[in-house]
Amino acid sequence: MRSLLNFLERYHSLIIFLILEGIAFYLLSTRNYYHNTRVVNSIRWFTYGIEEKISNTRSYLSLRQINENLAAENTALRNSINRLVRNDNSLFVSVSDTIYQQLYQYTTARLTSNSVNKQKNFYTINKGTRHGLTRDMAVIADGGVAGVIVGCSENFSVAMSLLNLDFRLSSRIKSNGYFGSLSWDGRDYRKAILSDIPQHVTVNIGDTIETTGYSAIFPEGVIVGTVIDYEKPGSDFYLITVQLKTDFRKLHFVDVVANKRKNEFIDLENQIQ
Amino acid sequence: MINSILRFGLILILLVLLQVLMFNNIQFSGYVNPYIYLMFIMLLPVEIPAWFLLLLSFGTGMLIDIFSGTPGMHSSATVLAGLVRPFVLRSISPHDGYEPGAHPSMLVYGFRWFLLYTIVMVFIHHTALFYIEVFRLTDFFRTLLRVLLSSLFTILFVLIIEFYRKGR
Repeated sequence: MRSLLNFLERYHSLIIFLILEGIAFYLLSTRNYYHNTRVVNSIRWFTYGIEEKISNTRSYLSLRQINENLAAENTALRNSINRLVRNDNSLFVSVSDTIYQQLYQYTTARLTSNSVNKQKNFYTINKGTRHGLTRDMAVIADGGVAGVIVGCSENFSVAMSLLNLDFRLSSRIKSNGYFGSLSWDGRDYRKAILSDIPQHVTVNIGDTIETTGYSAIFPEGVIVGTVIDYEKPGSDFYLITVQLKTDFRKLHFVDVVANKRKNEFIDLENQIQ
Repeated sequence: MINSILRFGLILILLVLLQVLMFNNIQFSGYVNPYIYLMFIMLLPVEIPAWFLLLLSFGTGMLIDIFSGTPGMHSSATVLAGLVRPFVLRSISPHDGYEPGAHPSMLVYGFRWFLLYTIVMVFIHHTALFYIEVFRLTDFFRTLLRVLLSSLFTILFVLIIEFYRKGR
């Protein structure tokens, strides 16, 4: 007993250290922390005031940029309206439209916090379950891939940025349809790596990379970026460097995309497996 | 006693605000993330009990974690810094040792002593922090580069803040 007390006396700081590190690593290892609505709720409420102010200032400072983007998007939308209106007059296209139409619903949200300088970046947006957001919804900014929602509270959601070592995206080369897996290597916030494209495929610098829609999260054909470099490492697959379309440093407004047929899709896949 | 609680409370609040409002928003490539809040752990009195230092380290780290949405990451690195601090202080102690009730400061122990103290503490803290952040050993050297660059900037900012404190 005495020696036990001596032991405790002698190593008490080491024991406290181990306990505290244990708590810290427990928190760290429950990686699904972001999925825990209650924690997101309480912490976001705590820091919301400050983050809101920072984000307000930031978006004020870049109003010009935002306006330019909105104007460009307006032009693009107007163009696509014109195309669709013309197509509607043609009998065939309207038929094929109803078959391939995917029920995606968009909602706009604003970022309240963002980071690009970590290895596992997340950002918070100002809409939550109250606005119909749930986990695994796609986040798109200016028509480019931005991330996936990983946790929602009533009024806020946390999204995993594309700039996260854990992020994987099924995407393809637009010109020939070969698809691979896109991930971030943690280096440059403007570049990501596309792998799993076999080497017999022709890849050109400047090729557009877009999403495949295989995951039922992202709609098909959302632009990821363009090929700026590729190399052939020892394996059978290319290592393609993609210049991302989205500038994560200037992310202020995003579109959250809900796939209305996702449950049907996943149910079916689960039945088969 | 009350005086020093107030003083360190103020230092903590200032450093956390600086960290959260300014340094967390420095997005100068992924390689430079200065974490100056560590300075709070460095400035605590030399004779502070080890257990109290550890608890304070954990609390400080947790505070930063809450603001940056990374539970456990900063706490674990800062607790480690709290554990090694007594050993660091002992190994670089001046010839005649520390006076009772001394605080680590540039004014009392000189620039070279404080620089050495800062380098060792920041390097240990940042090494732990950045390797915990990626949680893997692939890209070992790239993480090391991030550690070195970020440490460099943290050391620089800590010295600037300490100079300012000294000037007062």
